[in-house]
Amino acid sequence: MSSTAFGILKSGYVARDTFVHRLDGRTKFLFFLWISIFNYLFYDLYVTIASFAVVMILAFVARIQRFVITVLLIIVLPIVLLGVGIIGGPFGFAHNRTAIAAVQLFGFTIGLYLEGTVYVSVWTSRLAVTITAALLAYVTTHPSDLAAIMLKSRLPYKFAYAFLATIQLIPILTNEISTIYQAQVSRGLNVQAGLIDRFKSIIVLMIPLTLGAINQTQIRAIALESRGFSAPVKKVMLRDPKLKFSDYVVMAIIVMMTGVFIYLIWTRGLVPFMVGIQYVRPGG
Amino acid sequence: MTTQAKGTGPTTVERPAGFAILQIVLIPVIAALNYVTGVIINILKLPLFMDTWATMFGTIVAGVWVGAAGGFLYNIIMAFTLWGLPAWVWGFINIFIALITWVFWRIGWVTVKSPLKLVLAGIIVGVVNVVPVTLISWGVFGLMPTYAGTAWIYAAVLASTKDTLSASVISSIVAEIPDKLISLILAAVVASRMPARFTLRPPKA
Repeated sequence: MSSTAFGILKSGYVARDTFVHRLDGRTKFLFFLWISIFNYLFYDLYVTIASFAVVMILAFVARIQRFVITVLLIIVLPIVLLGVGIIGGPFGFAHNRTAIAAVQLFGFTIGLYLEGTVYVSVWTSRLAVTITAALLAYVTTHPSDLAAIMLKSRLPYKFAYAFLATIQLIPILTNEISTIYQAQVSRGLNVQAGLIDRFKSIIVLMIPLTLGAINQTQIRAIALESRGFSAPVKKVMLRDPKLKFSDYVVMAIIVMMTGVFIYLIWTRGLVPFMVGIQYVRPGG
Repeated sequence: MTTQAKGTGPTTVERPAGFAILQIVLIPVIAALNYVTGVIINILKLPLFMDTWATMFGTIVAGVWVGAAGGFLYNIIMAFTLWGLPAWVWGFINIFIALITWVFWRIGWVTVKSPLKLVLAGIIVGVVNVVPVTLISWGVFGLMPTYAGTAWIYAAVLASTKDTLSASVISSIVAEIPDKLISLILAAVVASRMPARFTLRPPKA
């Protein structure tokens, strides 16, 4: 994963005033769960492409398209290229029958096959849809709202703390590792050295980072206790997110589309629109 | 004549005050360390994942449930942000890693004092971990090649066997053994450098 992807988690919440931002976090996480589950149920490129179009439109509405496209380029594109090159290509994927393009080279047929390419496209577009839906929910929801939603959803407050503390700690530790890295380079650490030396470099970077983090753990525990973290009282939050009319509209659309999807599965199976392509189970 | 009440004796602090809260605070640290290791791997351009070493470290210094919870939380955060929902199942790998690390720690193999046992433990963790990795790869990625470092092995095995399962298993073995071996060594080395006052578990019997 590149530093750009880390930058996205580091930046976390993207403050905008859009329709998606104004939705309650619960609605966005419900949408994320719903679209992810149905995308993994259908084995149909048309369904996943339509879902991808929906989540991308929402990303443009939320004005986070730059984040989304960057993450997709970093995470999904390499899998698409590897998958199409190997499974869609001439490496012997057992279901390959129909050549989309083929050339003869030194007596061998090197081609790109429809079955393998569709297989890779379905699996990677499923990934693209769930990643985009996840970013839509995460990047457009304020961390304080996330905490309030977790408590309202009756999750243990210790879990809510751990989740939010991790999100807060990631940028802190990322900054710290940059400082440690600069310090070690100034002491002669060579990151362009051979493979073995670079492995050794992990230790000189990780020991100060880890010991510093553990030291801060003790300070953080005292700070939490002094604020009554373990006190046997009901915890309250500064923010109190409430469902609005727009949330109910989105939930109604989700319920309606669930009905449509169940009808499609009932009447046309898990491959409702893709004609002439057989359903391929992984490893099958 | 002493007037010592029944059951009282010299004060021994096996569990420091706020032990439980220290463990809870350590869980996000482990999750964040797993994450930040990715930054280091990126800087050093190493062909590994190393996103379970902090799980192993947490298990060594604070116990199996702290390591497992920190590792699982790391995967939950990644699933809800960069990897997409199905990737939360990778969290079970971290729980598995915490359990197996704990077993090796209990029998005294995870220590820098016995390098041979440590290396053997790392290799065994890597080999055993192929089973859950393959199961998750089957359900989430359709047994596709997802890691460029071992894609050529995947292609070679697929070309000779025409079986995506064999290709996935063999490329996983090649990726997992060095990854888990180096992760376990790193966890043991960092834990050995930790001052005793930071260790959040009673000494091993």
